[in-house]
Amino acid sequence: MGREKKSFTISSKMIFTFLVIICVGLIIVSYLFSDLLAPVKTAVGNFFVPMQKGISTIGSGISDKLRLFSDKEKLIEENDRLTEEVNDLKMERQILIHQKYELDYYRELYENDSVYQNAEKVAARIISRNPNGTCDVFVIDKGEEDGIVTDMNVTAGGALVGIITDVGKNWAKVRTIIADDSSVSGRFQPTSDTCIVKGNLKRMDDGYIDVEMINLNAEVYDNYEVLTSYISDKFLPGILIGYVTNIRKDPSELNKRAYLTPAVDFEHLEAVLIVKTLREELEGFE
Amino acid sequence: MFLVKSVIIIVEIIIAYLLQTSVFTGLRLADVVPDILMILTASLAYIFGKKSGALTGFLCGMILDCTFGSLIGLYALLYCTVGYICGYAHPVYDETDYTLPYFVIGGAEFLLNLLYYVLFYFLKGDLDIGYFMVRYLFPRVIYTVIVSILLYRLINLNNNLFTKLMKKKNTPKEAIIFKGFDVIGGRRDI
Repeated sequence: MGREKKSFTISSKMIFTFLVIICVGLIIVSYLFSDLLAPVKTAVGNFFVPMQKGISTIGSGISDKLRLFSDKEKLIEENDRLTEEVNDLKMERQILIHQKYELDYYRELYENDSVYQNAEKVAARIISRNPNGTCDVFVIDKGEEDGIVTDMNVTAGGALVGIITDVGKNWAKVRTIIADDSSVSGRFQPTSDTCIVKGNLKRMDDGYIDVEMINLNAEVYDNYEVLTSYISDKFLPGILIGYVTNIRKDPSELNKRAYLTPAVDFEHLEAVLIVKTLREELEGFE
Repeated sequence: MFLVKSVIIIVEIIIAYLLQTSVFTGLRLADVVPDILMILTASLAYIFGKKSGALTGFLCGMILDCTFGSLIGLYALLYCTVGYICGYAHPVYDETDYTLPYFVIGGAEFLLNLLYYVLFYFLKGDLDIGYFMVRYLFPRVIYTVIVSILLYRLINLNNNLFTKLMKKKNTPKEAIIFKGFDVIGGRRDI
């Protein structure tokens, strides 16, 4: 009896070793053949998404109610700030009207700019975020069924949010431009100098991400707009990324670097627009 | 017995995952989300032992990998290791003790984040551990422990109920008649 029991007991050490071997094996497999395990990811996503959808619908209802309780002082403060902002904007508007004539001229010049004003777009709601609390990756409630494929650009309020990296049946994963492993080729609006916009979660705490590889001779100043450039093979050209500040020389003295304030408020993002035109298709039209 | 226990644990994992990704992302404090999956892994490791800890951690990590990770198996490795280590606290488990488990959960979360730092930041060349500690590690540990005060009670209660039910099922009817309430109620806790 005793012998039998001994031969059938699996020690916890064995289970642990076995699990660790599986983990290491999976890491290696998913690193070498990332497509191989994609169906598993899709299946798990399909299982959880309906539940998450339900919860986030209820959750947003509750948070709307809670917002009613935000204190009065905050509102007064905000009112002061907004009045100031309105004055600023009034002045800015005057300048913009003048610039509009200039813009019309440029638009003729860059016919591409209007391409995705007419392009088909899909609106989607964010249903879950990265569980470690950062805003670098999130999942939306539209997927293959709505015609989403990887590498589609994601925007909000006319500005770039990020790019689709994984797609399931009714969900898709979006990597935002503030993620550490994201880099987008950009250009400055009036001067067309090029640069690279790199995500930086650490700096995002202060509201900035990095801009690198600006030409040393480029004439760029604070608050210039940065748009996506024509060089990128994934991002559609001419989408607003943000506004540049704090331009300074790179320690290498070979080029300049700067901070960028993204035009999108990633902390409070709730819904996004996906542009259904792919960069490759755009090339085909020309 | 084993099957029912597994099903209960799997349901608990699913609920924990949904809580973490959909509910608590809306209740962020200091920009961190409490690690519900770690609370579950550490609690089950403390209640049932190393085997359950390692297996629960593995499943929790796997779900995270499949939905948010870039490489499958990385989170699973972290959670599995921490779950296994938490299992060393099992010999001192007492179902009426509500002090020690919070230290176990806090320690587990600390260890997990430390390993997380090594795998995701240190190996990438980011040596600023002070920033990581202040910005992510300590807030996460504190928030997780606060949430676990409620959640551990639920998990432990659930486990106690389950044990009692199973005992009642396995006890012969005569024993119940002879011994009265003591057997039906299982062990007397109060």
